[in-house]
Amino acid sequence: MTRLFQIVLTLVLGAALAACGSGTKVPFTITAGSENEVLQPVVAAFCDQKGYECSFAYKGSLDIGLGLGDGTLDTDAVWPASSVWIDMFDTGRTVKHATSIAQMPVILGVRQSKAEALGWVGRDVTMRDVLTAVEAGELRFLMTSATQSNSGASAYLSMLTSALGGGAVLKPGDLERAEVRETVQTLLSGVERSSGSSGWLAELYLKAAEEGTRYDAMWNYEPVLKETNDALRQLDGDLLYAVYPADGVAIADSPLGFVDRGRGAELETFFTDLVAHLQSDEVGRRIAETGRRIPLAAGGFTAKPEPDWNFDPNRLVTAIRKPEPAVIRQALDLYQGALRKPSLTALCLDFSGSMEGEGEAQLKQAMSFLFTPELASEVLVQWSPADQIIVLPFDSSVRGHYAGTGDATEQQGLLDVVDNERADGGTDMYACAGEALDTIAATGNLAAFLPAIVILTDGRSDGDMDGFLQKWRQSVPHVPVFGITFGDADKSQLDTLAEVTSARVFDGRSNLSGAFRSARGYN
Amino acid sequence: MALSRRAFGLGLLGASVAGTGTYFAIKDRPEFQGLIGNRTELFGFLGGEKQAFIEDADVVRALGNHGLGLDARVAGSVEMSREPALLGQNPQFLWPSSSVMVDIARASGVKVRRDQVVLNSPIVVYSWEPVVAGLTKAGLVTATMSGHYELDLLALLSAVLAGTDWSELGVDVLYGRSRLVSTDPNRSNSGFMFAGLVLNLLSGDVADMEALDVVGEKARDIFAGMGLKSSSSGKLFDQYLAGGYGAEPMVVGYENQLVEWILADPERWQRIAKSTQPKPVMLYPRPTAYSAHPLITIAEAADRLLEALLSEPVQQLAWMKHGFRGPLGAVSGSADPAIAGLLPDGIGAVLPMPAANVMLAFLSRLAA
Repeated sequence: MTRLFQIVLTLVLGAALAACGSGTKVPFTITAGSENEVLQPVVAAFCDQKGYECSFAYKGSLDIGLGLGDGTLDTDAVWPASSVWIDMFDTGRTVKHATSIAQMPVILGVRQSKAEALGWVGRDVTMRDVLTAVEAGELRFLMTSATQSNSGASAYLSMLTSALGGGAVLKPGDLERAEVRETVQTLLSGVERSSGSSGWLAELYLKAAEEGTRYDAMWNYEPVLKETNDALRQLDGDLLYAVYPADGVAIADSPLGFVDRGRGAELETFFTDLVAHLQSDEVGRRIAETGRRIPLAAGGFTAKPEPDWNFDPNRLVTAIRKPEPAVIRQALDLYQGALRKPSLTALCLDFSGSMEGEGEAQLKQAMSFLFTPELASEVLVQWSPADQIIVLPFDSSVRGHYAGTGDATEQQGLLDVVDNERADGGTDMYACAGEALDTIAATGNLAAFLPAIVILTDGRSDGDMDGFLQKWRQSVPHVPVFGITFGDADKSQLDTLAEVTSARVFDGRSNLSGAFRSARGYN
Repeated sequence: MALSRRAFGLGLLGASVAGTGTYFAIKDRPEFQGLIGNRTELFGFLGGEKQAFIEDADVVRALGNHGLGLDARVAGSVEMSREPALLGQNPQFLWPSSSVMVDIARASGVKVRRDQVVLNSPIVVYSWEPVVAGLTKAGLVTATMSGHYELDLLALLSAVLAGTDWSELGVDVLYGRSRLVSTDPNRSNSGFMFAGLVLNLLSGDVADMEALDVVGEKARDIFAGMGLKSSSSGKLFDQYLAGGYGAEPMVVGYENQLVEWILADPERWQRIAKSTQPKPVMLYPRPTAYSAHPLITIAEAADRLLEALLSEPVQQLAWMKHGFRGPLGAVSGSADPAIAGLLPDGIGAVLPMPAANVMLAFLSRLAA
């Protein structure tokens, strides 16, 4: 009996030791806004120390909100830029222990020489000053889509609040006021490039700077501007001057929350320990060093002010008061459906033979989502009547050229065109991209639109890439060429186009409609 | 005397039987449960502001001494008192954060056995040094002899309603209109209590249905002007601390929230006190309202919880470690040195809440 007990004990201990030795870690997933990528190492080190394998997925605030709303977000924790998105969408109250990790004002970084020319250095600047500069054609800026990303939504809400005057809270009736709509529409006409991600927008600014192109300005989080300027110092030192609109800025509170999926109390304890770790003085200092504000924590430590670009994390910023969720939703619909700068989008759709069958069906389904206002507006990617859409079905050549606006009837017409196409023939996406470029260049009043080419393809394209790129380099403006991969598409070809044209490739293999939705955030 | 092994064995068996019999005889007797470590588990709902108190190891031990253990789930005061989804779970007790809830629970068909206020915490306004300095200059805030601050809440509400800028209230550091933010009265008790206070102040007395007709719209404007309102007092207090005075210049909360936050990390509070950064300041509205925490017992077994919570050791823990005052607003024992002098011993002017029907009518108006 004793012998048997010893054997069992040896086996149990051996198994336990083997488990320890094999380093099996408990998986823990965090879905965060792109602005938090810089804090990933701090979180990962803690996970590692506690025996957890933390993986990170970066998504826009709306994606996080929608995923919480319909329960499709496969994650143990969320870390969006603002708690507004949790309040608005987490109706099932699955998020627990949501705790603000830092405060990040959304401000306007203006290229130093431009800020000087506008007379903005060393004085208070209001949204009214920004409006005057945009109206005079003296300022254009990068800003993420208000309906896809929190920094864009924050800048947009600041614009609306400023247009009301006096720092009052936005109420339902205010959005009907003509002067408010007009002011904000004019401000948004200053958008030069948009995106669905604040981090990507900062990368776009830097990449352009490296290639010798300078955008005037960018709306982004205070610490993201610090990161950008740290990189610009290495480049040529032409920094982005921080403008904190004196009539109020929106402040993101960066909440980290636990998503209770019934994985047990231990996981929840790990999460609360992680939050406590991030709030400890030592880690707080590291977080503050990135330019994030953490009042009352880390012994009052803040990043060192950098007067050369007007950065001062100790500076008091008056926050705008966020409206009720229903008003925010109404404001976002108004942005997408009316106030944003109209888009001019050429859709190159691959109808080559390899798309036959399921590919063709899925493409038509995705187009049905995109051109049905009721469906697109559910996830805030609906077209507005001011948008211009060009549909270019292609195989080894462009089959036809169909233009319409975002008006509901015209969308239906475009949908009918797509439905009548049948998959057949070879693949030449470059021919399609070239024609799209010509069509966009021929559009009148081009400056009033945000132009983009979106190519969907499922295979390896024939054709002349170099020829297209040569044509692209000679064209003005430089239209970004986005890609959506499908089936066994050769991603490298689309990557090259996206890289050269400062665009992005979206993976449509698992969710084609979702990929089109993401692409809309950049246009 | 020699004892045979057989006799010893029988004796042992006898003692064991007697012991077991005694155990079974007394294990459910309340007066012995604490001694023998046997506990009656009670299931019920309580407001989130009491969660830290009820989870405090000393409180758990003190209740254990009364033979009680709690399976207490957090729920909003309003919802626990009237939501069929919660009441349908057959709670043995409810522990909301306002006496008005007793009437609301009765109106919802809850068979109330006993109800008695166990703890009290006055509604306060949390602000920051630079804001308080300005409001003091403007005469809206006065410092008391004991070094605490009183806020002329009616004057502040009138300023907010009139769209007065911060600068006109002596607060030059902030841009735009003055504002005071509470939680959503339809979801959270501190907002609910504040709504009662607003109605009382605007009507000049404890508001009744007639007064609601007169001042209801004005009161509604106060809440509409707040914009996005938090669903819980704890959340709003966290937002206040995390946001600083640019983001959250003035919020409504409970007196004991700052106490619990300080006691969670007394050294942090000392560091803040020594630093040059703006510090949180607690303002006592004059008059204010007490957020009373009545324990409503539904099952007979929960009556013992009432006695346990009212016992001196538990009342002392409530004040000393969590800043909750006793049933009449009085304090029991000396507070922790970290918060010595932070709270006044007594609260001067306290108004009762409007009746349940007035509050429910106003909540409907806010939700419309």
